[in-house]
Amino acid sequence: MIPAKYNLRNLRVRWMTTLLTVVSTGLVVWASVLCFGLTDGLQYALKVTGHELDLIVLRKGATDEISSGIEQKVAREIASLPGIAKDEQGQPQCSVEFVTILTKPRRNNGGTVNLIVRGLESVGRTLRPGFRIVEGRDIEPGKFEAMTSRSMAARFENLAIGEKMEVNRQYFEIVGYYEAAGSAAESEVWTDLRDLTIARKTPAAVSAVCLRAESPEQRDALVALLADDKRFKLNAIRETKYFEDQMNQANAIQYIGYIIAGFLIFGAMFAAANTMYAAVASRAREIGTLRALGFPQGSILLSFLFESVVLCSLGGLIGCLATLPFNGLSTGTANQFSEITFSFRFGPRVLAQGVMLALVMGVLGGLLPAIRAVRLNIITALRER
Amino acid sequence: MSNSNAGETVVVVRDVCKEFHREKLTIPVLSGINLQLSEGDYLALMGPSGSGKTTLLNLIAGLDRPTSGDVVVCGQNLGQSSEGELAKWRSRHVGFIFQMYNLIPVLTAYENVELPLTLTSLSRRQRDDHVKAALEVVGLQDRMDHYPRQLSGGQEQRVAIARAIVTDPTLLVADEPTGDLDARSATEILELMHRLNTEFRKTIVMVTHDPNAADRARRILHLEKGLLVSEVVESRTKKAVQ
Repeated sequence: MIPAKYNLRNLRVRWMTTLLTVVSTGLVVWASVLCFGLTDGLQYALKVTGHELDLIVLRKGATDEISSGIEQKVAREIASLPGIAKDEQGQPQCSVEFVTILTKPRRNNGGTVNLIVRGLESVGRTLRPGFRIVEGRDIEPGKFEAMTSRSMAARFENLAIGEKMEVNRQYFEIVGYYEAAGSAAESEVWTDLRDLTIARKTPAAVSAVCLRAESPEQRDALVALLADDKRFKLNAIRETKYFEDQMNQANAIQYIGYIIAGFLIFGAMFAAANTMYAAVASRAREIGTLRALGFPQGSILLSFLFESVVLCSLGGLIGCLATLPFNGLSTGTANQFSEITFSFRFGPRVLAQGVMLALVMGVLGGLLPAIRAVRLNIITALRER
Repeated sequence: MSNSNAGETVVVVRDVCKEFHREKLTIPVLSGINLQLSEGDYLALMGPSGSGKTTLLNLIAGLDRPTSGDVVVCGQNLGQSSEGELAKWRSRHVGFIFQMYNLIPVLTAYENVELPLTLTSLSRRQRDDHVKAALEVVGLQDRMDHYPRQLSGGQEQRVAIARAIVTDPTLLVADEPTGDLDARSATEILELMHRLNTEFRKTIVMVTHDPNAADRARRILHLEKGLLVSEVVESRTKKAVQ
């Protein structure tokens, strides 16, 4: 095999073209990894929200909480059904919730977008993963108080602690920020169920019931019971399935991301190929010499492919490292009805995708120039100046 | 063509023709060449530009294949060998000395000389011994860490010679080895090649335009328009060949 130092030193000698190629590859990997991290963050936010044993009970025919309406009396009866898990105090983990959408302005003249406001009782908190107050305090029922996540407070006007959010001319004071393991709950504003239904002037109706079954068998039994019982006319959906459907948004972003990444990769591959073609052309005599000395064509091919892969990997590495400052940074996108906030996630899988991208660019970009190097006629190559 | 030496036959060129094709034209370069070289022979190929001497050298070195006829070198019929077989064969049996030295600019003198050894199964330590021995033969053991750009033309050619002999090949082929050197360096290189021939019994085939360089050879073959027209042996006796 041709020693690796031959290629590495050539990259150093041609530092200007090396630098330009590394920068262009790095930019492509950076943009692609950002896109992958964005999608991963959104998928994670929706995925982490769903619990295997949790059900969302909606009105029959409704596909989401916004379009669903259940009589509060009927909703309360669900808590008495068998198979619902109990909390430490022996209370059923069954949360009656009212969800409404408000159009609210974003900060910094970002226009107005839909905001989900959820009214719920204390049991609702136990059904959200990793729920905890991180600043301020929890709301007190009857006081028209609200809380939200830090990222929502940063994105929307009037959602910071001490500010007041208006719902039908009723003002809810923001008293705290919570976290819920990066789930979709962090894209909402929470207030007391009763306070919200009063403000919305719908005291008898709620949107949905969220509950946790004792076991998968009980969960399936509850689904069947609620579907079959004519009295309820309700539809219980597994939470994981519910959020899976919501994930279509993330999938769309992902596909768009892949298409954009594809175009960018194509461009970067040309940059890498151009650099390698120049390398082959300027080193024709060296290639001829190596062939004359007895290095087989396979060695030449691998040597130039290796050089191209190193070139692109350097770019890939820099591109991946450059995304790290964005890790955990909150952003948002329009969901089916409202805005959902989530964080960029650059886990090992996303970074591995970036590295793979660089390797693919290196191999594909370097392949044709390497084949050209292999196909050089030895005698012609030796005559090159 | 007679064999001027009593050693083992190293090169046999039998009825060799070589043609090149350019678009629809067929250009004959060598016609009916016969030649035999024994171990320890030192042959200079001379002739005007386009006479086919470099083509003949390339055929003997396994860089090209004849259109017809046989080229058998160190027991291998080169015309019937694949590209891969030729590469392997060259790495074992041939050392190359080029007019422009053809050193790899990003490798030091030591690394350039070591390059052919990376194709062998020698250990790092064994390679080190071979490289140092080869550099000692050419008198450049104190320049082994220098890059080609840090060496004079004569020194570069000596490094190239060290690279050519480091695998201890049977045959050395040299294409205008002094063509790019000043007179003093040229003399040094020719003396070194003479030493390789007499002291190390290397069989050498050299293409040259320089009569002084050719004078160092045991045999001189003149080519014209692809034909061997005359041979001069050590006794300086000219005889017609064709």
